[in-house]
Amino acid sequence: MNQHIQRDPQPRGRLGAATRIAAIMTGAAMLFAACGTNDPSGTRAPGGGASGSPAGSAPDASGAGASGGASPAGDLSGELTVWGMGNEGTLMGSLAEAFMEENPGVTVSITPIAWDQAVTRLQTAIAGGQTPDVSQMGTDMMGQFAETGALEPVPADIDPAQFFESAWNTGIVNDTAYSVPWYVETRLLYYRSDLAEAAGITEPPGTWDELMAMAVAMKEQGGADWGLSLGTKNWQEYLPFLWSNGGDVLDESGQFALNSPQAVEALTYYDSYFEEGLSPNEVPEGFDITPAFVSGTHPMFFSGPWHLGLIEEAGGAEIEGNWAIAPMPQKESATSFVGGSNLVVFNESDNKDAAWAFVNFLSQPETQVMWYEEATVLPAVQAGWDDPALADDENLAVFGAQLEDTRAQPAVSTWNELGEALNASLERLTTGDQDPQAVADEMQAAAEGIGTGQ
Amino acid sequence: MATELVQRKPTPAAPAAAGRSRLREDLIGWSFAAPFVILFGIFLAGPILASFVLSFTSFGLRDLTNPIGTTFVGLQNYIELLGDEKFRKSLLNTAYFVVVGVPLTLILGLLIANALNRGVNKFKTFFRVGYYIPVITSIVAIAVIWRFLLNPDVGLINITLERFGIAGPNWLGDPVLAMPSIIAMAVWRGLGFTMIVFLAGLQSIPTSLYEAASIDGATRWQAFRHVTVPMLRPTILFLTVITTIGYLQLFEEPFVMTGGGPLDSTLSISMYMYQEGFAFFHQGYAAAIAYVLFLLVALVALIQFRLIRSEA
Repeated sequence: MNQHIQRDPQPRGRLGAATRIAAIMTGAAMLFAACGTNDPSGTRAPGGGASGSPAGSAPDASGAGASGGASPAGDLSGELTVWGMGNEGTLMGSLAEAFMEENPGVTVSITPIAWDQAVTRLQTAIAGGQTPDVSQMGTDMMGQFAETGALEPVPADIDPAQFFESAWNTGIVNDTAYSVPWYVETRLLYYRSDLAEAAGITEPPGTWDELMAMAVAMKEQGGADWGLSLGTKNWQEYLPFLWSNGGDVLDESGQFALNSPQAVEALTYYDSYFEEGLSPNEVPEGFDITPAFVSGTHPMFFSGPWHLGLIEEAGGAEIEGNWAIAPMPQKESATSFVGGSNLVVFNESDNKDAAWAFVNFLSQPETQVMWYEEATVLPAVQAGWDDPALADDENLAVFGAQLEDTRAQPAVSTWNELGEALNASLERLTTGDQDPQAVADEMQAAAEGIGTGQ
Repeated sequence: MATELVQRKPTPAAPAAAGRSRLREDLIGWSFAAPFVILFGIFLAGPILASFVLSFTSFGLRDLTNPIGTTFVGLQNYIELLGDEKFRKSLLNTAYFVVVGVPLTLILGLLIANALNRGVNKFKTFFRVGYYIPVITSIVAIAVIWRFLLNPDVGLINITLERFGIAGPNWLGDPVLAMPSIIAMAVWRGLGFTMIVFLAGLQSIPTSLYEAASIDGATRWQAFRHVTVPMLRPTILFLTVITTIGYLQLFEEPFVMTGGGPLDSTLSISMYMYQEGFAFFHQGYAAAIAYVLFLLVALVALIQFRLIRSEA
């Protein structure tokens, strides 16, 4: 009891922190979450960041026609509870209304949930048997929540072929699809074209060698402090290099392949940016790349679509026309990372027909375009990209093209841990002077120790 | 004799009546205590017991839908902890924090209290409040502000150093400097509390002792060493125990400021427990860590009591 005198009432939460029950009962979990729990991966775009493109041109967005392939429309009724995360959760009301217009018998209520509480809230709901009918779920959360056995497999009448394949695959755990992609994001190269031109480079880098040459030129001749800013401990930035070099986290037989020759080569290449002083290896906690990019000190980095809006917002007219985006440079392939959010239905739901009909409604190309205009997130349905709202935007087109060649982390229940282990090893590689082979072996050993949760 | 007789007279009826009234008293007593007992049982005793049971299971994601069906694994979590390198690292980090942080907090607190008690006469209240404010401020808010202060590029500390031509380091980004930076912040924050308690202790020392010392020709330092410190022994014991217990549970500072990094150099036991329990959902394992931490706290407190008692 005495502890309280010294350090806030939290020792209670700490001692009990180990028990789920304790956490739920004392609300300690909420307390922790309120402190700003790290988003375990950071795959999601900061809410509403992207300002996006002109939203005026969507004549066909009313979408009254095609919807609900799951069950015959009209006989759906009852109530649906839907959880939406972050920015999406607060904006989702318009989608619910559009759905209710088509299905007057159904009442949809949206519960917005902050991203940093999402995992805890879902775990609590599952443990207490109080799950919603439908929920948004980050693509990197699929493994762990499929593992709980609380998710309903996707019915056969939802066609996987309409989605980007890599996005669909994020929901497949142990050969069963548990989720339907809702929106996607992928990572591209952002670079200062004015500085590149000053250094005599007019074309975006097409290969790994060109990327390296460009980073050197940016620093040496372009007047920037750095070349290419890579994450010191971010598996999301490393994996595209591994994939592009023909490697993968798991090989075909499902064994870890993190110290394959391809992986060692990718790590060596990744580390060379730090070795050559092209990428900063000490980044203060909470560092924001956007102002550094605008001021020209950090002229290149990899990021998702949300940075389009962030850069416009921070740089405005001052930087307009002086920057560009380019797809992943090629090695064996030019593969980037795919993230975003999926939609799941819980097996405790007593209105599954309506739940899947709602999910299906959100997957219609028209709804996807409408959602892009509302929340500025990219459609996971390929047909959505044909709409002029997206097709006419030059920058978005680059993202659309990159999405054809993307992959995601394996959907295993232990991914949180594996990601942490990869990050820890990457940090030792980029900030220290460890040998890439040793780091690869360390990654492999750590991953084998953690396993895939099978 | 007489009194005895008087007392004995009503004997036949007494046991039942007394029993009834005792029961009544008990009931009244419990009903007054009930709000606490019920809350304590539900929110504290229950979870403490549950987490103890949990530490012998492999409770994880798979058990979420059916918590009762979890598998008991005996001492496996504890055995695994013994060989866990990351846990050992978190133990060492926490020990570093406690061994450096606790004496610093106490010594500085005592010096300030002494100065406020005897030397400083003007603005006494101002200083007292000033040193105490960090104690009552949200620890998370303080940690966020210190993160700004320690920022290598735009932080106040490095900008000040720059004025004097010194290139400041990346305080929180350097594995060697991160923990000292966190200790500095924790000491600054903890000062106020030790200062207030020391002040109270100092004021309870009779002035006659100092008068006697000065008559015997003691210098100020000798008076401090041979009068103040021995008289403060119970206060020192109290503060050492309380501060150590608090510091052993280091969590918010690294959680907000470094996330346990760089290279796990600020990963404390509580942070590791949180990571295992909530990020990875190894609740059984995390419960085991919690109980090891609990044992550690109990043990350290016991040793401190013994040491300081026996000296006295």
